[in-house]
Amino acid sequence: MAMVYGDRSTSFSSQVLTFHSSAKWNAHFDALKQTNKLMVVDFTASWCKPCKVMDPVIQEFADKFRDVEFVKIDVDELLEVSQSFQVQGMPTFMLIKKGKVTDKVVGVKKEELQRLIEQHRK
Amino acid sequence: MAVSGFEGFEKRLELHFFGDDPAIFPLGLRKLDFESLEQVLEAVQCTVVSAVGNSYFDAYVLSESSLFVYPTKIIIKTCGTTQLLKSILPLIHYAHHLGLTLSSCRYTRGSFIFPKSQPFPHTSFKDEVTYLQDTIPSNLCFRKASIMPSKSSSHSWHVFTANDSAHTLPHMPYDHDNELLFTMEICMTELDPILARKFFRRPEDGRSGDSAGKEMTKLTGINEINPEALICDFAFDPCGYSMNGMDGDWYSTIHVTPEDGFSYASFECVGSVNDSIAHVLRKVVQIFRPGTMSISTTCNGFSNDMWTQMASAVEPLGMKCRSFAMDQFPAAGTVVFQTFTARRKSV
Repeated sequence: MAMVYGDRSTSFSSQVLTFHSSAKWNAHFDALKQTNKLMVVDFTASWCKPCKVMDPVIQEFADKFRDVEFVKIDVDELLEVSQSFQVQGMPTFMLIKKGKVTDKVVGVKKEELQRLIEQHRK
Repeated sequence: MAVSGFEGFEKRLELHFFGDDPAIFPLGLRKLDFESLEQVLEAVQCTVVSAVGNSYFDAYVLSESSLFVYPTKIIIKTCGTTQLLKSILPLIHYAHHLGLTLSSCRYTRGSFIFPKSQPFPHTSFKDEVTYLQDTIPSNLCFRKASIMPSKSSSHSWHVFTANDSAHTLPHMPYDHDNELLFTMEICMTELDPILARKFFRRPEDGRSGDSAGKEMTKLTGINEINPEALICDFAFDPCGYSMNGMDGDWYSTIHVTPEDGFSYASFECVGSVNDSIAHVLRKVVQIFRPGTMSISTTCNGFSNDMWTQMASAVEPLGMKCRSFAMDQFPAAGTVVFQTFTARRKSV
């Protein structure tokens, strides 16, 4: 199930969602609260090189973990959203289930992120 | 001391660049492609293990230490038998493509535990200086090389600086809040073996280097050195630990080689001359309880107070100041090198 929001094209396949307005993000966040689905949000910045290292990894995880939702948020574009999650370093991955942040990974940590995804997706 | 083992003592390189095209900024060197950085690191023979960035700089944990990329400066610190100086030419090359020119170079290191294991040009400070002299562009015409002594011939501090006369550094050692900063490099050997054991992985723990690193940071109290800092850590298999800390535009970094016989730990950070560094120093000593420790501080101007502050901060923890050396380097500032040894109780 890949629902594509936003009126701008995403730079990834439809498996990794992106949001360009906080209203659409909030609506999506609220909708997902009602489900048991794990959502992994990748907070990135276009100018942050460490973020680029994780881009292909997130794509790989999105292909592998079909029952998990992957979202990419640009901190400059959705400043209020990244501030509400208190994002300081990038990339930051927030693991969210039923509207709550169950875990987070800050920095390029592929194995740690994979371990937490496997732990929380059940 | 073991006959041979992993060399914990790092070689540190700090390069400053200058560019007058406003289009390059605010990112500057941070625009360097990750692929270009990887090529530079390949020349040095190390790889990226983890990374994180904030609005001020990017920090990379390497297989053999750390790399920090700021808009106008790069700091690379590598241990083992890496060939750090080989990064200079590729960095100049890639920076040139971005419209940036080298304006300052600073190379520092302590004394190697296993000097005979080092590859050329790290075979001697003389060879390193010759290599640097030949590699650095001629516009950096203000140069100085110095070996700062301690009471022991096996513990010296080696410094080489080269600067472009047109770009003196007064503006550089200030951060964006206009605070005068100093860089502090602490090198510790003969770590307390019981404390050093915390930097060994539990056999077959089934964990990744990332999560084991996170656990080590908490278990050892490293996260308490600066509770404000964001930490990017990694635990090596079967032992060893590295971390980079980010606090606004200030970095900190710790590297640990815990094996008995050649144990080593380093702590480096940037601080403001206005703040007290005592808490940080005390925490570092408590975490490692080294037999020997050296503290090298570089600053463009600070009072005598600073050094007595440092010595008196660690004295109550049994670290006695054994030597003090000071030298001035054109545009780079004053370097102070102090060595300490632990007053141990005999068993």
